[in-house]
Amino acid sequence: MHVSKIGITALVPPELIFACGGEPVDVNNVIPLSKKYPRNKLCAWTAIWKEMLVERELSVDSLIVVAGGDCHNALVDGQKVAMSGIPTHFFFYPFDGDPEYMESQLHRLSEFLGGLEFPEKIKQINDLKKLGQQIDIKRSRGRITSGEAFSILISFSDLRGDLNEFQKIAASIKEHNIETTNRVALIGVPPIFYDFHDVARSLGLHIVFDELPYEFIRHQGADIREIARDYCEYTFARPLDFRISFLQKELEKRKVDGIIHYTQFACHHMLEDEIIRSRLDYPVLTIQGDLPGNTPQQIKLRLEAFREMLERL
Amino acid sequence: MIARQKRISGGIGLDVGSTTAKMVRIEDGEVKSRITGTHNWKELVNGIKADIISTGYFRNSVPHKASVTEITAAIYGVRHYFPEVDVIVDIGGQDTKVIDVRKNNFLINDKCSSGTGAFLEFAANYFSIGLDELGLFHRRAERIPDINNTCGVFAISEMISQLVAGYSKEEVVAGMHYAFARRISFMIPEAETIVLIGGAAKNEGMVMALKDILKKKILIPGEPQAINALGALKYFS
Repeated sequence: MHVSKIGITALVPPELIFACGGEPVDVNNVIPLSKKYPRNKLCAWTAIWKEMLVERELSVDSLIVVAGGDCHNALVDGQKVAMSGIPTHFFFYPFDGDPEYMESQLHRLSEFLGGLEFPEKIKQINDLKKLGQQIDIKRSRGRITSGEAFSILISFSDLRGDLNEFQKIAASIKEHNIETTNRVALIGVPPIFYDFHDVARSLGLHIVFDELPYEFIRHQGADIREIARDYCEYTFARPLDFRISFLQKELEKRKVDGIIHYTQFACHHMLEDEIIRSRLDYPVLTIQGDLPGNTPQQIKLRLEAFREMLERL
Repeated sequence: MIARQKRISGGIGLDVGSTTAKMVRIEDGEVKSRITGTHNWKELVNGIKADIISTGYFRNSVPHKASVTEITAAIYGVRHYFPEVDVIVDIGGQDTKVIDVRKNNFLINDKCSSGTGAFLEFAANYFSIGLDELGLFHRRAERIPDINNTCGVFAISEMISQLVAGYSKEEVVAGMHYAFARRISFMIPEAETIVLIGGAAKNEGMVMALKDILKKKILIPGEPQAINALGALKYFS
């Protein structure tokens, strides 16, 4: 049986894609290790997946572009992919969190994907997300390294396309005893550097919270109606006030000492930095990345200085 | 990574930056410093048996007993002279750092050359004069032309245009200092006590322009280029 590979450009409920018989592929996941230098770019994340899809270097049968409520560059780059001949669906989150609107978006998405075929997959994914939540808690308590936790949690957007295999990988993650001094939250879009968490750890910073991957494990529901009502609280798609009050609770719960705000060159999220700095009462280090690769020396200097600063407090 | 709790006495502070290397030791309570080009850093430590506390871009590439980033080193070095400092502006060869000591916050510009020592060097080379002559040129200027381009490379084109328009070399240098200072001023928060360190602090034209733009008193320690080497030493003492 041919299983369609469904590219996704940001968080799209994977429950629905699996339940419709598709295999989600988060097109961002190949980017940190990519050597591609896109020709025409603003943000490297969208520019690279766009170019890889247009040039058929990334194999998908169709693409779902999250065009409303998250990445604005994706709206244009997604259209370029559509013009290259890949069937493309544009998915919009409600800015005001309207559950009826969200439900209608999910029904439209389900139609694009050919309708629900395997509703039992929804429960299997909900169980996997519970495992993800345990990994997140263990990381916060110093039982799992932040690098290992991030690698699993970031994969919850597409569950690596295979629920059984992903379940085995997530369940086999090794536990350690890690000293969690200098507890930091990593907020914003994920860093484009493939070794960021390990570099931060080697410089004495323990990342106990990854904002976006946490969104990947916390939303769920038994059917489209419930999924709509939970996913419409996806913080990246909502007004900043909503996202910041959610962050305040999570940061307090995890007893963080400071925040690293990662921003991507030419991403609209950069504009949020001054609000985040003024509204979240923690020391904040803002860093910016552009092209993928390992963590540059200039970023390492900032991380090291931030650790020294936290130790002075 | 050596924890700061480890105290090191009688050492030397060595700041090996992108263009210059600086060494500081304290003898009978007096701060003694020496400066050379980055690639000659070894001449600063030849024959010295004391432990080296390093800072600067090459802090982990030179032998050291302990190291600290130049951001933290700047705070400890400046406080030696100005304990009440609010904001430190460190203009280095390849970047400019603004450290808000009150809020434990810092900004680094290392993406654009127009606010770094590299730009001043570029401009001095264009006029075939030494870096130390830029301040003298500035003082002789009668008018200050507008140079608005924030990109270091294009600012040179703008300087050429102003020469063509009839401004003197001295006036164009003064305009360049204003463009440079304006760029840096965008990074500086509102503060009472601003301390300027790094090689560019020796350029009186740039300092005059920055004071004029910020309308603030700017403090400069005796040897502004060696402050981070001193701070590295103080951090572990």
